[in-house]
Amino acid sequence: MTPPDPGPQTVLCGEVRTSVLRTSEALTARTATQLLNLRPDEHVLLSERPNLRVVSPHQLTGVDCRLPALTGGRPRAVGTVAVRAVLTEGRVLQTSAFARLVPGVGSHRKPWGHYLLRPGDIEPLARHQARDVVEGFLASAPLPGGVLNPGSIAERLLDEVLRHQLLDQRAPFKSGRTRLRWTALPAAEGAQASIERFTVAADGLRTVALRTPSADPSAVAALCEDLALHDWLLTTLLALVERSRLGSGDGEAVLAALRPLVDHLLHLWMPGARVPDALAGVWETLERRPGFSRQWQSLVQRIRDQVALRTVPLSRPVMARS
Amino acid sequence: MLVFAASDKGGTGRSVTSSNVAYRRALAGDDVCYLDFDFGSPTAAAVFDVPGASRGVAAGGLHSHLQGRHTEPHRIDVWAESEHEELRYRPTGSGRLVLVPGDRDGGEFAIGKDTVRRCVNLFLQLESEFDVVVVDLSAGRSYAVDMVLEATAQPELARVLSRWLVFHRWTHQHVIAAHGLVFGERGIVAGGVERGHDKGALRDSIRFVRAAVPDPESPLWAHVPLAQSEWMRKCDRDLTELAAELDLGYARLLGKIPLEPVLQWREQLITDEDVLASKVAGMPTRQALEELAAALVDEEAWERQ
Amino acid sequence: MTEQIFRETTAEPRTQSVPLAHVSLELGHLYMEDFEEGADRLREHFARVKPWADAAHAAAAVMSGGGRARVSTCFLVDDYFTQFSSPRELVPLLLGEAKAAGLEIDYLARESACAQADGVALAAAVEGRLVESPAEGSDGTRPGARETGWLSNGQRSPAAGTAEAMGRVVPWTPPSEAGARRHSIFVDVELWSADPRRTWSCPFLASVWQLARLGLLRHRGNPVLEPRGLRPDQALPETWSALPPLLRLNDSAAPFAAYRTTSVLPSRFLPIEHAVRVILGQVDADSGALRQVAERAAGEGIQVPAEIADRAAYVFYPGP
Ligand SMILES: Nc1ncnc2c1ncn2[C@@H]1O[C@H](COP(=O)(O)OP(=O)(O)OP(=O)(O)O)[C@@H](O)[C@H]1O
Ligand SMILES: [Mg+2]
Repeated sequence: MTPPDPGPQTVLCGEVRTSVLRTSEALTARTATQLLNLRPDEHVLLSERPNLRVVSPHQLTGVDCRLPALTGGRPRAVGTVAVRAVLTEGRVLQTSAFARLVPGVGSHRKPWGHYLLRPGDIEPLARHQARDVVEGFLASAPLPGGVLNPGSIAERLLDEVLRHQLLDQRAPFKSGRTRLRWTALPAAEGAQASIERFTVAADGLRTVALRTPSADPSAVAALCEDLALHDWLLTTLLALVERSRLGSGDGEAVLAALRPLVDHLLHLWMPGARVPDALAGVWETLERRPGFSRQWQSLVQRIRDQVALRTVPLSRPVMARS
Repeated sequence: MLVFAASDKGGTGRSVTSSNVAYRRALAGDDVCYLDFDFGSPTAAAVFDVPGASRGVAAGGLHSHLQGRHTEPHRIDVWAESEHEELRYRPTGSGRLVLVPGDRDGGEFAIGKDTVRRCVNLFLQLESEFDVVVVDLSAGRSYAVDMVLEATAQPELARVLSRWLVFHRWTHQHVIAAHGLVFGERGIVAGGVERGHDKGALRDSIRFVRAAVPDPESPLWAHVPLAQSEWMRKCDRDLTELAAELDLGYARLLGKIPLEPVLQWREQLITDEDVLASKVAGMPTRQALEELAAALVDEEAWERQ
Repeated sequence: MTEQIFRETTAEPRTQSVPLAHVSLELGHLYMEDFEEGADRLREHFARVKPWADAAHAAAAVMSGGGRARVSTCFLVDDYFTQFSSPRELVPLLLGEAKAAGLEIDYLARESACAQADGVALAAAVEGRLVESPAEGSDGTRPGARETGWLSNGQRSPAAGTAEAMGRVVPWTPPSEAGARRHSIFVDVELWSADPRRTWSCPFLASVWQLARLGLLRHRGNPVLEPRGLRPDQALPETWSALPPLLRLNDSAAPFAAYRTTSVLPSRFLPIEHAVRVILGQVDADSGALRQVAERAAGEGIQVPAEIADRAAYVFYPGP
């Protein structure tokens, strides 16, 4: 049964790509600022508490394409998608592309200047149901060409930043990228932000459906960047621990595999650190189930135990570094 | 590490041997990715027995990716998708084995600045995720070879380890052709230098692999007349001499895969089951593949000059 | 001095405002070829500009609602593509010829200032603000003008032939102009060339010039290309680089930047200014600056077109 059509609604949607920064040393605030100086005449945002987070200015990409839809036709829509890059602790790079589908419907494409004055807005040129667009967008299959695809815009920027000459292309450990695709519909009158689903598809795509009181795309995107960051941390740590064959015999090899985790990842866990109160409910839900932090803590404990266990008796030179 | 598999002629055993090397590296615990850059004939997936991909995939393959038609090339997790009995379960301790196929019915395409940029991005991304990235290139002087020479000459890839395996059969023509592909006027080294590679470094990153080598002492030939086996031995000696003369000798030789009847019949991975249980494939073949897979990451084998 | 390129996330974004005239009137644009024709050429130019300058003043008076119209005049000298003469020689000549025609030049700008002024790379900043008008079907996957160096007003004709060996033959299709009325006027503008180092194209610098005159350029919130005068005791320098990028020649002039611009140019500039329109139509200008202009205009009861390109007017007089 489908709920009755609530009429035109604003839909926020976006996708976050997360990757390790390919550099042997984490970047300092200064170099991070240079790296993310994507629009030379605008400021790079930097905040140092509770951890170092650097955010690039937005770039805009013009689109004139179809909206995804699960059941109905795919309406044409015109506007711009905003994309930015975020670097956490000089180590984890994210690019985040997002847009707001405005509820109104035009019938003809307007002069381009009209859309430039509404950065990050996309205006549909035909009637559509917000729910249908959300479902179509979150369906895990790769989005077909010609359909709104913030993920590919984020991917382009990620590749561009990762090629920057400031980077020595030497990551301290092997790891993959993750993709998190999200949508946000308006929360009911007076209700808190809530998360309707968080799924992991077989091809690694994460999908998140939110209801938020705030329709500020930048704030909701920041929440999703935070979710994506912690999901990536957990995914990466799990993969690396598995590779290290924690339970196996070769102590030297296990230590060599775990060492970079201790050096580069373990201190990054800080869920919800910058999420505004109005959106904080989302993290609370996720902490109850599936319990991101619980899983992280237990992994970290295992790693610390292993490192302690294998170093104490022999005090290997590899541990001489502080 | 990026590993480029090249050969002057088609049908040398480049795809089958490099697939087997990829498989062996994964068994040894490395995360391995295999890219089908044989754009004129994207059939590498066949060796891995992945249904629906043996001639490339219907959408999202490397052809369309490198030409900018989509941002994410399709990936196939061999352990999960292969129909091969032995590949369906990931052995404990093994690494990931991922195949990135071409597009079905894809063909060679011209290389521009954009294609090279996408290729660099792809290499950088896969290299940061996998221990070994095997790139199966089209035979001969191809756009694919041009593109990877151009890509690896870019500053972003300067600090990424690249190695070349040049496959050839053990015949007079093949030895001369392999020499030409590497050292010739329009060969890999010359082409690389033209694109900004350091000559010595590029040359030292190239090793030869002899595929489908008949061993005169093998039981396969035990029943041939004496004159014939004498003749085979002489050919083998002459070829060894020729190879040494053309700088394809010991110092630049990384591996030698014996002529394997199973592979003559079917392009496939040689699993331990094939060798130990059903005994359809020969132990020396398995041994040679294993040694080649080990030599690929053995620094000493790459320091020889 | 280390420049602050970052801002704490908590700090409020702020954009400083610049004073605005009603109209910025450009009296000409001087290249080496013109200069080499001698003083006669300049004299003829200003004589032809004069009636149109008067008309521009009259139009500005209408725009200002009958009050005193603030009109500032400016002149652009190329020192980017070729350097010729010297400020010491040229500026007095220029002012003299203008005066003889009854014109006064309030501000003199160097073309290279549109690329780089006071240590700020203006052209690169504007390039970073290009947001291409998408052709129908674009989902944002294709590389943009920043990678290719070309910007068009529609959809290019795909290269004919086959993209892949033995692939389908792609038939030729014509290029098309976005939002064309029945027939297309397709324009593809080269923004820069890269041999051996990046050289910005004339139309691209002219677009920066228009944005500067419209008060829409900022560098991290601060005004750029601010006019400077010479001190009374200061002589005109021998080299162009020693001259302020935007020189104020008249202390009682109306502000350099304005709600609208008018440029009086010989007709050979027509294609360049068409290209400027194509570029300005795809610039995502500083939102703070746009807002300030809109608010100030509203405060003065003045209409300013929403589209930046529509704020620029031209007179093309006949002749080379
Ligand atoms: N060691 C071997 N012994 C016997 N046959 C072999 C051996 N290695 C490969 N072959 C066979 O040789 C044929 C060609 O091998 P393969 O397809 O790997 O060559 P290739 O160099 O990739 O060719 P192409 O250029 O056409 O892609 C296949 O039938 C394969 O099974
Ligand atoms: Mg092959």
